[in-house]
Amino acid sequence: MIVVKDLTKVYKLNKKQMLELKTKKNMKKALNQLSLEARPGEIYGLLGPNGAGKTTALRTIATLLKPTQGEVKVCGFDTVKESEKVRKCICFLTNEIKLDPQFSPKYMFNFFGRLHGQDEKTINERREKLFSYFGIKDFEDKKIDELSTGMKQKASIAVSLVHDPDVVIFDEPTTGLDIITARSVTEYLKKLRDEGKTVIISTHIMTEAEKLCDRIGIIINGVKVIEGTLSEILTETKSAELEDAFFELYKEHNREEA
Amino acid sequence: MMNGTKVIVMKELSRVFHDKKMVFSLFIMPAVMIVGMYSLMGTLLGNMMSDIEEHVPSIYVQNAPADLEEVIASTGYKANIEYLTASDNTDSLKDGIFSGTVDLLVVFDENFVDTIAAYQAAGDPIPEVKTFYNTAEDYSSAARQNFVNTVLVPYQQSLLAGRLGNIEQLTVFYIDKNPEASIIVDEKKQDGRMLGMLVPFLLNIMLFAGAMGLGVDAITGEKERGTLSSMLVSPIKRGEIVFGKLISLAIMSCISAAVYVVSIVVAMPILMNGATGGALGSISLQFTPIEVIMLLVILMVVVYLYVSIVALIAVLARTSKEANTYVMPAYVLVMLGSIMTYAGTGDTKLANFFIPIYNSAVSIQNLMMGELTLAQFGATIATIGVLAAVITALITKAFNSEKIMFNA
Repeated sequence: MIVVKDLTKVYKLNKKQMLELKTKKNMKKALNQLSLEARPGEIYGLLGPNGAGKTTALRTIATLLKPTQGEVKVCGFDTVKESEKVRKCICFLTNEIKLDPQFSPKYMFNFFGRLHGQDEKTINERREKLFSYFGIKDFEDKKIDELSTGMKQKASIAVSLVHDPDVVIFDEPTTGLDIITARSVTEYLKKLRDEGKTVIISTHIMTEAEKLCDRIGIIINGVKVIEGTLSEILTETKSAELEDAFFELYKEHNREEA
Repeated sequence: MMNGTKVIVMKELSRVFHDKKMVFSLFIMPAVMIVGMYSLMGTLLGNMMSDIEEHVPSIYVQNAPADLEEVIASTGYKANIEYLTASDNTDSLKDGIFSGTVDLLVVFDENFVDTIAAYQAAGDPIPEVKTFYNTAEDYSSAARQNFVNTVLVPYQQSLLAGRLGNIEQLTVFYIDKNPEASIIVDEKKQDGRMLGMLVPFLLNIMLFAGAMGLGVDAITGEKERGTLSSMLVSPIKRGEIVFGKLISLAIMSCISAAVYVVSIVVAMPILMNGATGGALGSISLQFTPIEVIMLLVILMVVVYLYVSIVALIAVLARTSKEANTYVMPAYVLVMLGSIMTYAGTGDTKLANFFIPIYNSAVSIQNLMMGELTLAQFGATIATIGVLAAVITALITKAFNSEKIMFNA
């Protein structure tokens, strides 16, 4: 269960960043009064263009960033005051978080299992299960450095799930993957949902959101502009496809901001 | 609380020790390099010295007195000597000295013996012996020195004895007939002074260099590769991660410094033997058990301080390149702090033992001379300990900062 209430996140910009963003303000509001709820047994998709604040939202949920205003509760724990308890029940996967390339998937799996305070027996059982599901067993002793992108991603997913978390947070889970690997990842996310886990992902791929997500929230410029199931969103925006709906909303809200 | 730290330390150590390339470049190559280089230098120096000793100089003597040949024969001085008359031109010989083919030209004044014999009273002429040699040529310098000491000085003495009859008239009193017996020295302190100049400097530099090489990769490198954030989403305290990193770095820096120090200790006598013909080969150090403990405690806090300094810089830097640039001033500071032990012969002012880095170097120096007081030791440990604790707190703060960890 993830509950985000009135989450506002403001970044202070340094001079270089101000130049890059061509702005004279030294503050950037990445998220503005964002509220959302992701429930057990569903996949919630955060949809938005690049820089809309998706990653910021997920990082805040994963305790890596602190809200400027508002609060985030995961599994009933506050992400600021009880961040360790939150981290115990989540897994967070993003492109920027990587496994140590000098070690094997097996070593990394055991390492993170130990960091989560699991005993060796549980770790070995979990590893057996996850590695055979993702087909990692053949290269479990190879250095991660020597693995292909798809193999690395599979290993990262398996390792992040070592502690059987209740809440799964994936930032753009299929970016950079080929169709086959991407499919195996989305299939596993569905499996996790069916096991009753709370799954939240971010994506800018419309088809992925259409097929995978039970509920979708669209963020533009840090503001959630619409939320609901696919059909609810299509009805509300009077569109035939999510992509059309997205463009309508983008035109409307991006103009407002500017 | 410490479980996470332990797991991280194990991982960091296995990262290094399971990597043959790293083990080789961090621990084996430096040892081989130092021992190899020092041995080579020692052997070369030794060869050079014995080469000079064995070289038979070619010497030209102009206007030699009739009895000079006899004097040379009686001293046993070995050289290829050619005798010239006053009419011979010496210019080509001087060119030979300049180019290194001739070692020495000795020119006696004409009528050398007659002038000496004719001497009656003050103001009468005194003859001269001129030596021409090349200070840039080892053979030439050695030939001149040996010729003066073994031939000319005794010859001068014998002529003097001939003139005065009794040469003792020239000696009013002796100073230290047996110089060896005059030296009263604490051998430990003397040896300690020799090593006390070198060892604190080397130790400090090596420890910091070790921490520098490993720390930047272990922290900035991990930050760059995105592997550090994977630990940040695990349910352990930031402090545990920091401790795990620092302790593993400290362990590896110690091993790396030990490799350097042992190599230097092994290789130094080889170098010294070559350079001095074995005169300083017998330097030894003796420590009491308490001194050993003091040394270990100093080294431990110093290693932790250096590791934490490097770690703080590494965590603040965004890229490894940046970190390597920022860490250089700290390295220079460590060098400056420890090179000061070269100048002094041990500091005794207690206030100076509150200056970090310098205090560790001077403490080790005093320890080697057996002069480190408990107050100096305490001041050193306390200062470094407090500083290291402050830096550790800063690193933990940096690990908690989203700006530093995620550039957000």
